[in-house]
Amino acid sequence: MRAPRWLGLLGAFLRLNVAEELQYRANFVASVLGTLFSMATALLTLALFFHHTTTLGGWDYWEIVVLLGVFNALTGVIEAVLRPGIGQLAGEVRSGELDLVLVKPVDAQGFVSFRRLDIWRITDVVLGLALAGYALFRLGHTPSLPQLAAFGVTLAAAAVVVYAIWVVLMSLAFWFVSVENIAVLFDAVYEGARYPVSAYPGALRFVFVYLIPIAWTTTIPASALTGRLRPELALVAALVAGLAFAFARALWRAAQKRYAGASG
Amino acid sequence: MIERYAALIRNAWLVDLQYRASIVLWLLWGVTEPAIALGIWWAIAGDGSVAGYARADFARYFFAVMLINQLTIAWDSWYLDRWIREGDLNYRLARPLHPAHEAVAENIAYKARTASVILVVWLLVAAAWPAVRLPFEPGRWAITAVAVLLAAAMRFFISFTTGLLAFWTTRATSIMELHAGVSLFLAGRIAPLALLPPAVAGVAGVLWFRSMLAFPVDLLTGAVHGTDAVLRGLAAQLVWLGVWIAAFRLAWSRGIRRYGAVGG
Repeated sequence: MRAPRWLGLLGAFLRLNVAEELQYRANFVASVLGTLFSMATALLTLALFFHHTTTLGGWDYWEIVVLLGVFNALTGVIEAVLRPGIGQLAGEVRSGELDLVLVKPVDAQGFVSFRRLDIWRITDVVLGLALAGYALFRLGHTPSLPQLAAFGVTLAAAAVVVYAIWVVLMSLAFWFVSVENIAVLFDAVYEGARYPVSAYPGALRFVFVYLIPIAWTTTIPASALTGRLRPELALVAALVAGLAFAFARALWRAAQKRYAGASG
Repeated sequence: MIERYAALIRNAWLVDLQYRASIVLWLLWGVTEPAIALGIWWAIAGDGSVAGYARADFARYFFAVMLINQLTIAWDSWYLDRWIREGDLNYRLARPLHPAHEAVAENIAYKARTASVILVVWLLVAAAWPAVRLPFEPGRWAITAVAVLLAAAMRFFISFTTGLLAFWTTRATSIMELHAGVSLFLAGRIAPLALLPPAVAGVAGVLWFRSMLAFPVDLLTGAVHGTDAVLRGLAAQLVWLGVWIAAFRLAWSRGIRRYGAVGG
């Protein structure tokens, strides 16, 4: 598919969803309150840990708050873009309504991923980045230009990795059609991204870096921002993101072959 | 009544059986939170101990949390919210049996299934890893069983009553999530209450949160010493169970009068 048409389609999704959500403005307040509450819970949990220690996996308090800010920003992307569509997909695979998506002259993976948007949750991205910024201020660390560039690259790579994990889960819906709440599996795994991977025992760290690569979603961007990571290594993050995306895409293709349609 | 319950439980069991994959997902979700908390406390404890808790103590504590949380958790507020909003409550009201009985039966079927899985996993892990083994004390286990039963009953009434708030507001599930956020600390899900600042742990003991989870967990791991402490803990559970039953009766009788069924 040519790029401009893609952009046009995304623009159309956005317009539709904005128009729909503007009918429910009270949801905006509820969404912001919910985000603030979950941020407060995360900070209190961290404060509890640091009540009994001075470093966690070699990171100090405000460094992990930077990481929590990144975590929150990515949560915003997930809640705004990825979660709204997935429940619908499982239902469509079961009932055969997915036929209507597959016959459309667009890429099915892209269509399924981006058709539903929950625009209010975009505020999570803003609040998360603000938290990271405040934590940097408390650290007394002003990121240099290469560090900021590395943060930009690694954060984009993080969004791609999260998306890839999500597509893998969506693909599973073709095998386990009864799974309406497959997103729960993502929540379970993503819990681990709240803390730097260096805090975990060796085996778990291996899993988070190589098998379920959530280390690349929060630990690496936060490290880039605080200067723990040499800026060049951002390119490795980009490579990981590319690999994860290619794997997810291949799995999605394989999964689609299993789909038999409404008559199957 | 026993026949009715047998039929209800059988029914719930068979419905669950259709959604096996879904049960596994919720199980994973329930296990990761304590597992991650254990990973972090494991790192903090190192070779020493935190407020008297060494690594093995944390391991036992969080394995007990996994089991007992699964045995006492109640999802009823989510179901009730849907029943009330979408009118599914109607045909349940037409039955010659209070809808709460169906919910209790569902809870028993769900817990029997998930808790037995966790118990098997625990036994397997304990075979290889001495840290999570419990001393053989049938008396203590019997008292723990009573405390778990009281906690499960109380959490059922908390969840059911909160769900009944859907008679008045569309945000009943948000209130339940708020309660879950607070119970993360006060019920001992993120850390043993002994590790909280004393004032916070005191609040948890005065309110119902300790009775929900931390007390039965501490009973099982042996952190509660002496007949006196055991009796006081059980008494607190009974008192709060009574309070929540009263709240349930009030919310039900007021709410049902307000209920204008959807559809028709």
